[in-house]
Amino acid sequence: MSEPPRPSRGGRYVLTLAALVALTAASWGLAQLHLGELGPAIALGIAAAKASLVALLFMEIDRYGTASRVVAVVTVVFIALLCLGTGADVAMR
Amino acid sequence: MSEAYADRASREHALYLGMWVFLGSETLLFAGLFGLYSAYRAGYGQPFDEALRHNEQWLGSVNTLVLIVSSFFVAWAVHLTRNDRLRGALWSLVAVVALGLTFLGLKAFEYTHHLREGIAPGALYHYDLLPDPAARIFFTLYYFMTGLHALHVVAGLTVMVWLIRRIRRRRIDAHHHTELELGGLYWHLVDIVWIFLWPLLYLTG
Repeated sequence: MSEPPRPSRGGRYVLTLAALVALTAASWGLAQLHLGELGPAIALGIAAAKASLVALLFMEIDRYGTASRVVAVVTVVFIALLCLGTGADVAMR
Repeated sequence: MSEAYADRASREHALYLGMWVFLGSETLLFAGLFGLYSAYRAGYGQPFDEALRHNEQWLGSVNTLVLIVSSFFVAWAVHLTRNDRLRGALWSLVAVVALGLTFLGLKAFEYTHHLREGIAPGALYHYDLLPDPAARIFFTLYYFMTGLHALHVVAGLTVMVWLIRRIRRRRIDAHHHTELELGGLYWHLVDIVWIFLWPLLYLTG
């Protein structure tokens, strides 16, 4: 935020970048193993972990107050409902 | 300052909240597309897998790294600005623009390659080696999702260039950089969307 300026430490950004690159490499490496049905679930799980790192450590969601956090949580809940509904529809066909 | 706000802190709070609501709506837009893709994939497993394997994995992977590094540089620019190191922040944003253009260049290369083969969206699709109608559905979704994402990259790059101009003109500093934080949040969302597009469209065949 702008006022008063809060100093921020750069080390965690570098560590986050390293973790994201490592997870990307892991995702690519696992894709080469052709894990069948498990493959997409693992790849999307790693993607969710990477997205969480970006949201928490690059976007610093905790920095923007309760209302912004509520918006983020509601978005995640809506996505979960969408996944649930889509999954149920596909499963019952 | 607008009369709608009692002070600068209130205005900034409204701006940040507005941006988070906007990002939430953008996320739900892409989530809907991911849901549509997943439902089709559940119904057309094998032809979808074959179509997915036709995408060049290395192109998607390099673009993933490009966007992740660009996201780092946006966070780095915000960090440097908070610490009043504006020259470094400016060059970080220049790196973001360079990486964003690299992403778009690789995407254009991939589109060109596909289109030359006859892999086009919708009724224009005429690729003989993947004749299954489900392959056409896959590539129509591929073009729509990656095209929509590319438009977001273009919008993000426009914002980055504007922010570079603001820093050069000393309109942004350690005390006044709300627009940089807002633009950064948008760019991170563009990165997050691609983080999911990559496995869905390139890796999981």
